[in-house]
Amino acid sequence: MSVVDDEDATLRERLADEPVPALRVLAVVAVLVAVEFGALANLVMSLPWDAVGAALPGFLQGAAATIAGVGDGLAGLPTLLSRSVIDNAGYQLPSGEWVGTFMGLSPAAAWLLRVALIYAYGFVWLLVGWWSYLVYRDNYRHADWAPVDDMVGRFRNHSWGLFGLAIIFAFVVLAVFAPALGPTTVDANIADPYLHSIEYYSEETGGVEEIYVGDANGESQSRGQGGENVGPMQYDQYDRFHPFGTLPSGKDLFTFMAAGARVSLFIGVASLVLAGGAAVVFALATAYYKGLVDLGIVIASDSIQALPQLLVIMLASFVLSGTWLANLYNGGVVLALLFGLTGWPGLWRAVRGPALQVSEREWIDAAKSFGQRPSVTMRKHMLPYVVGYLLIYASLTLGGVIIGVAGLSFLGLGINAPTPEWGRAVSAGQPYVATPSWHISLLPGILIVIVVTGFNALGDGIRDAIDPQSDVETGQQDQTAAAGGGA
Amino acid sequence: MSRWSYFARRVLLMIPIVFFGTTITFVILRMGPIDPAAAVIGASGDTEAYTSVRRSLGLDQPLWLQYVDYLRDLFTLQFGYSWVVNRGRPVWELIGVYAPRTIWLGFWSVMLPLFVGLPLGFYAGLNPNTLSDYVASFGGIVWRAMPNFWLAVIFVAVLTQSEQLFGFQWESWLVETNIVTPPELQRLWVPENFFGAFKAILPAALVLGSASMGNEMRIGRTAVLETKNENYVETARAKGVPGRKIVYKHVFRNALIPLVPIITGEAFLLLGGSVLVETVFSINGLGYLFYAATINADLPLVGSLMFFFILLSVGINIVQDLLYTLIDPRVGYGGEGA
Repeated sequence: MSVVDDEDATLRERLADEPVPALRVLAVVAVLVAVEFGALANLVMSLPWDAVGAALPGFLQGAAATIAGVGDGLAGLPTLLSRSVIDNAGYQLPSGEWVGTFMGLSPAAAWLLRVALIYAYGFVWLLVGWWSYLVYRDNYRHADWAPVDDMVGRFRNHSWGLFGLAIIFAFVVLAVFAPALGPTTVDANIADPYLHSIEYYSEETGGVEEIYVGDANGESQSRGQGGENVGPMQYDQYDRFHPFGTLPSGKDLFTFMAAGARVSLFIGVASLVLAGGAAVVFALATAYYKGLVDLGIVIASDSIQALPQLLVIMLASFVLSGTWLANLYNGGVVLALLFGLTGWPGLWRAVRGPALQVSEREWIDAAKSFGQRPSVTMRKHMLPYVVGYLLIYASLTLGGVIIGVAGLSFLGLGINAPTPEWGRAVSAGQPYVATPSWHISLLPGILIVIVVTGFNALGDGIRDAIDPQSDVETGQQDQTAAAGGGA
Repeated sequence: MSRWSYFARRVLLMIPIVFFGTTITFVILRMGPIDPAAAVIGASGDTEAYTSVRRSLGLDQPLWLQYVDYLRDLFTLQFGYSWVVNRGRPVWELIGVYAPRTIWLGFWSVMLPLFVGLPLGFYAGLNPNTLSDYVASFGGIVWRAMPNFWLAVIFVAVLTQSEQLFGFQWESWLVETNIVTPPELQRLWVPENFFGAFKAILPAALVLGSASMGNEMRIGRTAVLETKNENYVETARAKGVPGRKIVYKHVFRNALIPLVPIITGEAFLLLGGSVLVETVFSINGLGYLFYAATINADLPLVGSLMFFFILLSVGINIVQDLLYTLIDPRVGYGGEGA
């Protein structure tokens, strides 16, 4: 094909011209999806479809029911990395033999195997993502070279940033695969322990007995000095394995933490999408129009920032606590909204500088005199420059949001009570910090420190990649962002 | 534009900010789904009491009139009364009782990072890429990632059990103090009282200042690294100015400029963060009062406290601008000078 063709061709035409590399990527992705298809279908089916179905007109309801049946069937398909394939629940006979676990392994070994496999699977996805970027860059992109190539190159050599990326990757896998990673499920162990039962070998009766999970939890509590304690990497008396030990109520801490990671990640990402979207739109508008628009947004953002963020969120989540909004995702949606609404001024201040800078460039002037619509100018000529800076502060802010959410749930606010959240574990373990049950408070806290450090490191890495000259932080956005309103 | 007219303009801009901040609070309190009068009465649901509370809060007026009254009361500093937390007591009196503890806590959580974090950062900046630099830098990064409430929980547990853990008792060390009570702030000019109050607040202030300490260290380090290579430092060295004098007169003073907004910004963060730290350490300060007022639905008290916080934060901003105007002569000359 000729060079001229190449310049004018759309992405679709370029794909049609040379389909082989893209098909190769697609094949690998298809395999990866196929082995986890059941889990994916399960996730889709776990959305509140009942509400949607009820809203449909009558003649569609029959069709919807058929689709739901198919969906449920698909959700039941075996998946490679599920609890049922590599099971870590079982009991030990006096002979030392394990019954019910995967290939008779001990629960600890079975659980570790599953965790290792899930992380390997997640890592393969990461590699595939990188590979498809390379395929796109080498085969389908207009330009041979783009500034982003240099940024990616710089980031690849930034070991501190890569360290952050690795931690964030581990955190995201923990959140996404939470149901499969825990040694037991939230449903069985935390939410409805009296609707589920387990089998164990009883020495008294000399046979296999059944017991409600709730009753078993009563015997596996961690209550510090003199009391019972099930520490990290220990078994309780019903042969259940607890990688992080148990809570004072006897529930499994790792399952709790994994589910809590999901909640934290959801709130963090949702609030950032909201705050980041508002920040970018406002930054572009103020940089393009300046003058009164700029002044108005300065006053609006300063007014929001004059209110202590954590206190406003506390107040607003209390005021909204009785409404339907507060029950969406156990209160997660409200928190995401509040963190987004109070968080955009910080992000906007961070990207306002770069947006103003780029608006002074001659190509913006050229576009204006050329008669390009303002929205197109902003999107095509200003946005790409601003997005990188947004990423830096988004990474720093995410850590802050996680701390803030944990702080609120530590006070018993925000996320509704039985739903796992990291701060609640810290609060539950508060009386036992200096006892043998230290793990309840300490492990969640250490996890928060690691994750927040990871987000900070990632932010540093992106900054150095985008703007290698500026290694001084002159603004105050950095630290306020990372502090989560001081929680 | 001169420096002082720049400053005056900044102060003038604070007025709409106080106004809009108060409006946001009004919207949350009066236009939200919670009826303040019903919340004050609680579950008992006595109709007569309800109407009388409604009347004295002015809730029977139309909304715009409520808004005008609300603004007028707050801007004339009539903060009204507490309805639930401390029934019938004027809000000003409550602030008078609770604020000194928060101010004491806030003062030390700004000062401690300054006197610990900054020197460490400057030291690391003067000795870059040595082992002590790495230890200090990494320590700072981890230290600032720690959630305050968690750190506070650990501090309380370790200090209350210091006898068993380290064989030394924190509570009776030098002066007798408790760990989870508000500090005694009477007669601070007596050295003994002062030291007692300082020791009582020390763990909480360290926790609340932890993020700032890490930040100031990092920023102090980069600031020293930057200024160390400036031309004027090299000139001074070429002139034969002794090394110690270069560090104090030329490096430190210029490295301090970027730190001003950081420090004032932190002073503001402390307002929000004090809720958690005060709760864990049982320091009955303003943050704790706000928390108690919120969970007990004492919305009139909440509204007045929020206005007080807005005034505080705007005040801190003005101080920051004032400091900037005094320290950095380049401020206010728009793009050309800076």
